[in-house]
Amino acid sequence: MKKLGIIISTALATLLLAVSVQSCKPSAMIQAKSGAQIWGETCIRCHNTPSPDTFSDVDWEVAGMHMQLRANLTPDEVKKVIKFMQSAN
Amino acid sequence: MKKIFTLIGIFAVGSLIAQDTTSTFDRQAAVNNYNAKPGKSKFMLRGFWFTGLDNLTNSEGESSSNFIGGGFNPILLYRQSDRLFFEAELEGQYDVNGGFELGLGYANASYVLNNYMTIRAGQFLLPFGTFTEKMHPSWINKVNNAPLGFGHDGISPMADIGMEIRGAFYTGSIKLNYQAYVINGPQLKDGSDEPDEAGGLKFGYMTDNNKNKTVGGRIGILPLSNSSLEIGFSGMTGKVGTAESKYEDVTATLYAIDLSFVKNLNFMKSVVDIKGQYNGTNVSDADYLNPETGADYTFENKSSGYYAQIAVRPSLLENKILRNFEAVARYSVLSTAEESLWAADPTQLTFGLNYWLDWRTVVKIGYQTTDGLGDHDTNETISQNLFYVRVAMGF
Repeated sequence: MKKLGIIISTALATLLLAVSVQSCKPSAMIQAKSGAQIWGETCIRCHNTPSPDTFSDVDWEVAGMHMQLRANLTPDEVKKVIKFMQSAN
Repeated sequence: MKKIFTLIGIFAVGSLIAQDTTSTFDRQAAVNNYNAKPGKSKFMLRGFWFTGLDNLTNSEGESSSNFIGGGFNPILLYRQSDRLFFEAELEGQYDVNGGFELGLGYANASYVLNNYMTIRAGQFLLPFGTFTEKMHPSWINKVNNAPLGFGHDGISPMADIGMEIRGAFYTGSIKLNYQAYVINGPQLKDGSDEPDEAGGLKFGYMTDNNKNKTVGGRIGILPLSNSSLEIGFSGMTGKVGTAESKYEDVTATLYAIDLSFVKNLNFMKSVVDIKGQYNGTNVSDADYLNPETGADYTFENKSSGYYAQIAVRPSLLENKILRNFEAVARYSVLSTAEESLWAADPTQLTFGLNYWLDWRTVVKIGYQTTDGLGDHDTNETISQNLFYVRVAMGF
């Protein structure tokens, strides 16, 4: 019963969090970041920054989505980085 | 002479035909390429491989030297649509007889619900701290092995089966990320298989030993706008005892704090990478059978461990050779339940020098010392020095 309470509380907290984040917005400085800047700042948190010519345009879409899920990137960050990699490879 | 002109004529005509044929092929290839649309479903094979050399010496002067087969871990990525994604990692390694063992590290599917939330189901690496989920591949890990407390006989969970929600968002210039999950969870070693290990936890089992599910999560905060600093808080709790056994009410609570700071420091012309993680485990009290005395005994079942690592790579130098070197040092400690039969308190210090052949291929050379009560099977203190070489490649 206690566990059920924890699960329900967690679910409610998650729902509350989900509703709350809808009102959260990145600052103008964050929004103005280019794909190249995000690439330089973010990839290196776990590994060396990859060369754009490592993958094809199609492969960057797969690798980008993988990093969105694994490294907790926002969809906007991933779109910018993929676009940069596809333009520079 | 006439034959020569005839041959030249045949060669010239043949060359023109061949050239025209080639041009036709080129034109057709160009048309095909123009018409080729990638589609929404995309498959990609990635992964990593490593091999190396271990030269081990213990305090009694005994030594061994082995080339190690290392490991080969293919990772399958499949993007079915903009919202649906599948990933699986196979874990391959040589066994002692020269055979090759292939296991499944994890396999899961994710569905992007919206910009703030993704739901995932299957077997996945647990976001318990950051090492397991993000640092474990051999080409990302800057030294030869995982810190103490991770992996076999560790106190940090690796992967489990269940469901998870995760996401990331900004509030101003501060970035937050979160993960929350429900999994089968760790299981209590009750001593029936290995009496000396009663009270310890085992991780990553395919079937649950009770109906109770373990819940957990992690919150990560990146307070700086350049994302150079991240501090994370993780926790999980659940019953670990087997249903309808004397241990069915035994509960385990695990927690972790992780830190990461990675920044280009222009005055050092280097990238400085600092990482660390503290793990703690609390298991509620229970009586276990002491195989040496035949009587029950109990103990305060708390374990902890941590690691701290710093790496410096002068990647901003103009010298093409020097900028590929990287110096790394790691200190790691594990302290398991002091009064248990599986008590251990090893400390480990590692110094390494890496050379990056490209952004995902590295040669690692290092020296590692491990000291303390570390072999719970024999309850003996270990003191060993390891010289290692590793070659690791991500692909």
